[in-house]
Amino acid sequence: MGHKYSLHAVYFCTGCGIIEIPPALTARWDAERFGIIPAAAPRQANLFLITGYVSLKTLKPIIRTYEQMGEPKFTVAFGSCPINGGMYWDSYNTVKHLDRYLPIDGWIAGCMPRPEAIFTAITHLWGMIDRGEADGYRRYRRYYRQYRANQERVLGRLDWPPLRGED
Amino acid sequence: MRIAAIVFSPLLALAGGLFFLGLARKVAARVGWRCGPPLVQPVIDIIRLLNQSSVSHGGLFSLGIVFALAGAAAVVLFLPLGGPPPFRESGGLLAILYLMLLAPLGIALSGGAAANPNSSIGVSRSLILTLAYELPFLLILLAVMTRYGTISLVKIVESQAGGGWAIFSLPLLLSGIAYLLILPAILGFRPFEIANAPQEIASGALVEYGGRFLALATIQQALNLFIGPALFVNLFLGGAGNPLFFFAKMLAVFTGVLLVNAAYPRLRLEQAVGYLWRWPTLIALAGLAAVMWW
Amino acid sequence: MKLELILAVAFGGALAAYPAGKISSRLRNILVVGAALFPAAALAGLYGVRTGNVFYSGFLGFPLILRIDTLSWLFAVTVSVLGALGAVFSLGYIREGEVSDFYYPNFLLVNTAMLGVVLAGDLVSFFIFWEVMSWAVFLLICHKRGRALAAGIKYIVMSLIGSGAIFIAILSLRSAAGTLVISRIAPALAGQPPGFLLWLLLLFSTAFGIKNALWPLHAWLPPAHSEAPSPFSAILSGVLVKIGTYGFILLFYVLIGRNAFLGLGRGWFSPSHLLSLAGGVTILVATFIALRQDDAKRLLAWSTIAQAGYIFVGLAFGTGLSVAGGLLHFLNHAVFKALLFLAVGTVEFRTGGVRDLNSLGGLSGRMPFTAAAAVVGVAGLIGVPLTGGFVSKWMLYQALILGRSPFLAFAALFGTWGTVLYGYKLIHHIFLGQLDRKYDGLRPAPFSMRLPMAVLALAVMVFGVFPGWPLTVIDNIIGHLGFDPLGVTAGGMISQSGALNTLNLLAAVLVSCLLAAAVLKAGRKTPRVGPEDNYAAGTVVPRDRYNFTVSFYDPLERMLKPYLRDFADEFGRKLTGRGRTFFGLVRRIYTGDVRDYVLYIVVFLALLILTQLGWRPWR
Repeated sequence: MGHKYSLHAVYFCTGCGIIEIPPALTARWDAERFGIIPAAAPRQANLFLITGYVSLKTLKPIIRTYEQMGEPKFTVAFGSCPINGGMYWDSYNTVKHLDRYLPIDGWIAGCMPRPEAIFTAITHLWGMIDRGEADGYRRYRRYYRQYRANQERVLGRLDWPPLRGED
Repeated sequence: MRIAAIVFSPLLALAGGLFFLGLARKVAARVGWRCGPPLVQPVIDIIRLLNQSSVSHGGLFSLGIVFALAGAAAVVLFLPLGGPPPFRESGGLLAILYLMLLAPLGIALSGGAAANPNSSIGVSRSLILTLAYELPFLLILLAVMTRYGTISLVKIVESQAGGGWAIFSLPLLLSGIAYLLILPAILGFRPFEIANAPQEIASGALVEYGGRFLALATIQQALNLFIGPALFVNLFLGGAGNPLFFFAKMLAVFTGVLLVNAAYPRLRLEQAVGYLWRWPTLIALAGLAAVMWW
Repeated sequence: MKLELILAVAFGGALAAYPAGKISSRLRNILVVGAALFPAAALAGLYGVRTGNVFYSGFLGFPLILRIDTLSWLFAVTVSVLGALGAVFSLGYIREGEVSDFYYPNFLLVNTAMLGVVLAGDLVSFFIFWEVMSWAVFLLICHKRGRALAAGIKYIVMSLIGSGAIFIAILSLRSAAGTLVISRIAPALAGQPPGFLLWLLLLFSTAFGIKNALWPLHAWLPPAHSEAPSPFSAILSGVLVKIGTYGFILLFYVLIGRNAFLGLGRGWFSPSHLLSLAGGVTILVATFIALRQDDAKRLLAWSTIAQAGYIFVGLAFGTGLSVAGGLLHFLNHAVFKALLFLAVGTVEFRTGGVRDLNSLGGLSGRMPFTAAAAVVGVAGLIGVPLTGGFVSKWMLYQALILGRSPFLAFAALFGTWGTVLYGYKLIHHIFLGQLDRKYDGLRPAPFSMRLPMAVLALAVMVFGVFPGWPLTVIDNIIGHLGFDPLGVTAGGMISQSGALNTLNLLAAVLVSCLLAAAVLKAGRKTPRVGPEDNYAAGTVVPRDRYNFTVSFYDPLERMLKPYLRDFADEFGRKLTGRGRTFFGLVRRIYTGDVRDYVLYIVVFLALLILTQLGWRPWR
């Protein structure tokens, strides 16, 4: 119960979709009534919103930030770009299938999704947490070798050590 | 009986503090035409944090937060909360003042041990801000202690039971007003939120806190929220006969802080120090001078 | 155990250390430690003894007396114990191959002289030992040469001014009171006019104020304490400054007598009040200048000035509680300041002489024992409850508040918050923060350095949890000085206006600590990460490039900078500058030309003849 009603989101402005988050936090579509507030640092957060396209340059900080979050943690991808490349489906620089590099618990389609869609997604996420289906972080640990291989294939040599197998 | 009071008192303070935290978020939301989270949101946050994994940066890192929480809890054990304090008085208001400095020091110790420049900046800001509000705060406490001729908090409360609330006597009215002016700084609310600025320094000393550490830090913040108004009620509003009246008086004091918190932005450090060393200091100085020579 | 024997052994050790060093360094080490420990052990057994005896009569017609009572006992034990610990620390610090021949003899000589000063029963032997102490300290400050020479000269010039003042005062006393035996002076001064007492106060206060680093006589202390070798800095800050305190107690309450001293002057213009104000200014000015220092030992030196101000305010304020608080703070400050100087000295030793706070950082990983000792020392300095500093400061505050002097109490309390700031700065810049790569291979402190730090850290905590033990001694002292006794218990004291029970505090804090630690430890383990895994906005930054130390309190410093100049030091510099110009002009008399010198002789002879003729060359 504690996890679903206290989702603190890492305030990582990933791509163009971040412009949709401040309206969701302010008075018109108040996200705080769901218990969602932006967290200052990844260690204090348990929700990661990937808002918009992910370029190769941004993929590194995204992975690093994701690994610094405490568990259990949930990832939600906004927009079409993380699903299949979206508007940038033929770009040399963006990531088309984010799910290969980072475990995603849910997607919100749209370019960009409206705040009502965001809140529908949150309630879906609550349902998934209740049923135990939001286990992206466990998947990450179980298949870390494969995830890391994918990351290294596209980013070259990574300058942080692999995750330790704890917890 | 005493054991029950020793166990019950910090829990009461924690409950009150968490209620105040939730109330702060709710009032800030309502003033901003939002709905806001439920009042029990801080409790949910703490439960979630206790169940989340975290990392540690070494022995000093863990020790610091333990000290901070121990300091806050120890202060509560010596405060009269609408009845005699659980621990027999030792050292009076001066000991309470000194125990209150364990909390920022503990956070400073673990913030430094985190080896993150954000923490170091945050600690530096928090210590400067504390120094800044201590100037008028000490003048206020000295005025009250000189007026009643004792350093014992219990005796100050008792004198007011006989002679009327301190805030209604003219010299101490000035000190009371000064206390209300610096109360947001003591509690770390806007406009004096610079030490924990989320957007500027990634929450300062708390940047490397996750999971259980952040839960303890939130508990410590809740206890701090309780101590500030509780001291005001004891010093200026005559304490209370039972915890319920005490809490009602605290709520009356706290409402002003909540409204200021909802309305004001954050002051920069130089602006905050400049403000704290101007009007509240002058009013507190006037109060002390009035107590001495009137 | 005769007092002469103690002094003789200490002095003999000082003399023998030089030839012993020439024979073998191990022999000298054993000799030095023995000569330092013997007075400590011997004096410890002399508690409660009040005795005095003439040890040499007929020095220019004066008897030279050594005496011990509880006040001297407290100071003597502190001096000798700290001397012993400093000697042990020096064994590791003073490396062979350096100029170490004269270090140990000087060190033991300073020890002996300080013991002599506090054990002296008459003012002549007091003065003799005072002088020996002054120049021995000067020799030791200059041990490292270079900047230390300038620091030493500044010290010795000011100290000589003080010695001159003492000498004049002793002469005045001799002619007014007829005797120089300390215990017989107070009754002999009974009939003197208050002007004479003020004159004595002025002279002696100059001398003792210079030693005690009272504002505005403090200018010698920061350079001297920072340039001296670290174990000696510990002695300097720990006990030498307190010899000035001892002098003040002697002056106010033994030589002049308590009633006479407190009865001088009227209201605001009494010496007691004015001196307390000077102490208050010392506290505030020195604390906030300490905030701005970037050299670890200079920061500690300014801190010494501030804490000596606390002790002085306690003494000058004149109530039993304040004097007791001042004496307890003397004891506590000696302990934790020595501890801090030893910790900084250890860091300096291991890093090859680095004292600059902006170049260190993160050393708690490499030197955990030193870091823990330094944290305990800073906790005592700040006055965290359960350390000794808290009890003494508590007593001082209570004395000031109940003595209807809230502005002085405010100065003291606000000074404590300044202490928090610079104490944390010291810990943060040396032991916390990021570890520079070049210190990755730093070795921890050697045993000879750990032992004194461990003893002192233990003392800080014991004095905090069981303050009744030193307080009993101090209660005895202030009873002899003529004040009402305090109600001392094992855990603190009970007086009608506020009780202190440190065992209560210990219980409260311990219970809270256990609860918090239980919450932290319960459940799953928290893995330990290093600084590479820090939050850096998603990037991986090198682990030692972003240490925040420079201008740590910049907003505060910028606001306070115009008010925080060291006015006394600047005044002294201007004075010496003008003096140098003037004497430069005077030197122009020596033109190097023989004809000018002949002219001078002729003019001088002419003047002589004129004076003989009564200035009337015509007849």
